[in-house]
Amino acid sequence: MNVLILGGAGMLGPYVARELAPAHNLRITDINPPKEDLPGEFLLLDAADLDGVVAAAEGMDAILNLSVLRRHRQTAWDVSTRGCYNMMQAAVTHGIRRVINTGPHYTVAGRHITEIHDFDIGPDIPPQPGTNLYALTKCIGLEICRVFTQHHDISVQHYLFYNFKDPAAIQPGERYAPYVISWENAAEVFTLGLDIDLDALPSRSEVFYVFADMPHGKFSNEKTKRILGFKPRQDVESLWK
Amino acid sequence: MQILITSARHERCAALADYLAQFHEIRLTERAHVETAHEFVLSALGHDRSTNLLTRGMDAIIHAVEPLPDEDVSAQLDAATRCTYNLLMAAAQEGVSQVVLLSTLELMADYPAGYRVQETWRPLPRTQPPTLTKHLAEQVSREFAREGSLGIKILRLGEASNDTVAVAVGEALAEPASLAAKHRSREEGGAEAWSITHIGERA
Repeated sequence: MNVLILGGAGMLGPYVARELAPAHNLRITDINPPKEDLPGEFLLLDAADLDGVVAAAEGMDAILNLSVLRRHRQTAWDVSTRGCYNMMQAAVTHGIRRVINTGPHYTVAGRHITEIHDFDIGPDIPPQPGTNLYALTKCIGLEICRVFTQHHDISVQHYLFYNFKDPAAIQPGERYAPYVISWENAAEVFTLGLDIDLDALPSRSEVFYVFADMPHGKFSNEKTKRILGFKPRQDVESLWK
Repeated sequence: MQILITSARHERCAALADYLAQFHEIRLTERAHVETAHEFVLSALGHDRSTNLLTRGMDAIIHAVEPLPDEDVSAQLDAATRCTYNLLMAAAQEGVSQVVLLSTLELMADYPAGYRVQETWRPLPRTQPPTLTKHLAEQVSREFAREGSLGIKILRLGEASNDTVAVAVGEALAEPASLAAKHRSREEGGAEAWSITHIGERA
């Protein structure tokens, strides 16, 4: 499969690229040059550049959006919100049916439903991001994707993450959220997302919480395991054991 | 009451300013210069002190989310999302008590003719402005109301005259500010912090 990765030179991108490279042809884009050698073709590209994103998507079978800019208001809206519009417009232009979008867990849960007080927080609640810049810009991006899926035959899987860890670097007593995954394990879910029969998805816009099995019971990754066949590794358990 | 009206270049906003000026002090703003008899402040609605100064002292804001002539889709999306966020964040910081957001009844146009569509039904935006941009501006505003930092009244305008719209806006402004009213229970008639009203007819 020919796969376009937007924001592929960031923190998660290299792990995803290495995971997918053996089975897919990759075109990786980012606003910054990669800090390490990445497999496939690389293009410097701002996800906020509509014409550039549409051009980069030509000949692709799937688009993965890993782009992240959290703090600056202009770039956060440019990348997290308009970047989604550009990605979906590119998918329409080139007839690409498979899109995987990413964001933080509070894209839907906001900071009102939290691991402090609640349990079994799942991905299928009505989005309530609040006004936090990162959460809201990603949530509006998700909504743009959803609107496109209502009008076009495109499926979007939204993978939401929270806390990434390098298992080899975990220190005794290290702080963590009750929603952790290793970088390598996170990358594996993208293989599942590229392999899954799109007709097996419940709808054309589905949200998944991607994290390891954890004993805290705060968030639920049940849907990700049931629908995508996600297999959590047991590589971050030293955080609580 | 001191009222700020955005999208000053738009004909409906100009008419609204003329109507409300009979009863209130009006400040108009736009992202490009506009000739008007009312007080006018040029503002890009950016993330800077000027947007706070624009909203300072205002009792209410009427945010119309209209494009400038010849704006491309990217610019329209930016104005509807980022600029709305900047405006509302500044308004919340400056203690503005209520915001009226002028949206469109076109959001409900895809429901079959003859359906008695109500405000609580799911909006059905298309993938282009104006429905997409108006819908996203609604979504951004909802989060400010959810957190209780602003009272937001959405007026989804259908086929309605400028006079009808002006009266509807005047009535929305005359209602108790949602922020104060939210402390009353719904059973006591307290207003929601985020409310939607359909004005005029669905196309």
